[in-house]
Amino acid sequence: MEYVIELKNVDKEFKVLNRHEGLKGSFQDLFSRDYKIIKAVNNVSMNIKPGEIVGYLGPNGAGKSTTIKMMTGVLQPSGGEIFVNGRIPYKNRTANAQNIGVVFGQRSQLWWSLPLIESFKLLKDIYKISDKDYKDMLALYESLVDIKELYSKPVRQMSLGQRTLSDILAAFLHNPPIVFLDEPTIGLDVSMKAKIRNLIKALNKEKNTTVILTTHDMGDVDALCERIVIIDKGTMLYDNDIEHLRSFFGAYRTLLLKTKKHPEELSDEERNAELANVETIVKEDFADKDFTFSLSDEGWCSILIDENQVRLMKVLNHIQEKMKVYDVRLEEISTESVIRKIYEDAENMKKAN
Amino acid sequence: MRVKACVALTKASIMDFLQFRLSAFVMLLGNIIYLIVIYNLWRAIYASVDNATINGMSFNDTMIYLVLASAQFTFMEAYLVWMMGRAIQSGKIVLDLLKPVPYAQYLLFGLEGGNLCAFVVTFIPTFIIVQIITKGAIHMGINILFYLAAALLGMIINFAIDFFVGTICLYTQSTWGINIMKEVVVLFLSGATVPLAFFPETLKRIAYFLPFHAIYNTPLTFLTKGQELGIGESFLMLGEQLIWAVVLLLIGKIFWKLSERIITVNGG
Repeated sequence: MEYVIELKNVDKEFKVLNRHEGLKGSFQDLFSRDYKIIKAVNNVSMNIKPGEIVGYLGPNGAGKSTTIKMMTGVLQPSGGEIFVNGRIPYKNRTANAQNIGVVFGQRSQLWWSLPLIESFKLLKDIYKISDKDYKDMLALYESLVDIKELYSKPVRQMSLGQRTLSDILAAFLHNPPIVFLDEPTIGLDVSMKAKIRNLIKALNKEKNTTVILTTHDMGDVDALCERIVIIDKGTMLYDNDIEHLRSFFGAYRTLLLKTKKHPEELSDEERNAELANVETIVKEDFADKDFTFSLSDEGWCSILIDENQVRLMKVLNHIQEKMKVYDVRLEEISTESVIRKIYEDAENMKKAN
Repeated sequence: MRVKACVALTKASIMDFLQFRLSAFVMLLGNIIYLIVIYNLWRAIYASVDNATINGMSFNDTMIYLVLASAQFTFMEAYLVWMMGRAIQSGKIVLDLLKPVPYAQYLLFGLEGGNLCAFVVTFIPTFIIVQIITKGAIHMGINILFYLAAALLGMIINFAIDFFVGTICLYTQSTWGINIMKEVVVLFLSGATVPLAFFPETLKRIAYFLPFHAIYNTPLTFLTKGQELGIGESFLMLGEQLIWAVVLLLIGKIFWKLSERIITVNGG
């Protein structure tokens, strides 16, 4: 079996009652047969190989969770086919459950009032984990994170970070070939996020677990995912690795210039004057090209360059001939800005149609 | 087999129950208040008639029956409909569905431990107190074993009905009204609030025709009429319960299977 997850032209429609406004409307709704069909997922196809970490991204309400719920077998697709570990998930949900792990950001699958270790023992019996595998897994966990001290703590007394950590460990406990993480870092502080990213990465490496991750945090994506799938309004926009993503909307790079010795001491007007100066210099030679000029927080002039149109070094050379440059910095465009651009472009495309 | 998982779930629900010691005491207290109310109510009913017995039951018989019925309620009622309703509304149900144990089994064994604890904490003390106060009015013989078997079957029937009603919540997305209706119907027709002996003839016949009486009336009969029941009759009563349990579990399972498809998990 080459792929652990296969989606072929998957659709999901929901029937929603057209609600009327006000008290009178509410009474009308009692007898209304006025339904509208909402297409939450529209013709999505993808194949996922064993051991991949796939970032599944999209704005709120894009259909990410719906897709995940279909892959876990909780929801039945309205059209298309899904295979997870070679099984149709909604037809064999219970059997499928044995081979997947799930974490849903703000929900916990742990027993609320019991100490963590009791939840683990319970999961051990529910998933029929052998004593040896269980022991080995806990040993692995203990080598990766300080989980030992949490064992005796009831889940309801845990902080959100501790609980999420525990939930992720619980999802990996029966060593499933696939783990779905639906916004695992939601609401966590920076250090906890880092901890959780390292944990996911280590578990993926150690056990060759396929991880499907949805998130709104580009830090998660940069740290974990080699491949990302972007979806909006139920339609797939992008499916490739991160490197390609950056070139998806042109090869953008940012050139940062320090045009005065101490730009941080300049007033806002002086800074803007510097930027305007740079802008005129660039534009006189590359009038037909597109740039985006802005000021960085420290007062550096920043130029966003599409390298498919003009090489960055050419621009830099030209500027250097015309004015004194104290320092230069190059920045790759961040994943975050690319994804924001994709979301916005999709929005604009919708409007244009 | 899934025996290990079911035992583990039962164990967890026992531990869960023990985490909330206080709630067991509050339950007991609430039960005592309820008993004071029905004591006075039935006192008044018996004072208003000349006979010492109504429908073949003396005041003492009635009280013993109702005290035991309320004690049985504390360990049988698991508020499953609420639980399912809440899980559906909050969307938490998705995590329960993704366990490698069928949902009905997951719920049943997740509740059983709590029921078992409540049995020990409330039913046994109540039973002993009744025995002491009435100087041994409850026959102690083979009927006690029959009671235990009947109570277990009653619990399963109660569970099956709750599971069926809980499944309706998938369609309505709300639980309040449905649960109140279920509670009234089940408690009344099972003989938990008023002994079936007091029902008018037609209603009694209907009640015996329905499965509800097998939840409270059948087990309690083993305690209150323990001496009069023959072994054959006792087995017949258990047999009827068993048939109801199997039929209702099956109906619940089929209904769930049909309804599963419409699950739309709320939130996220």
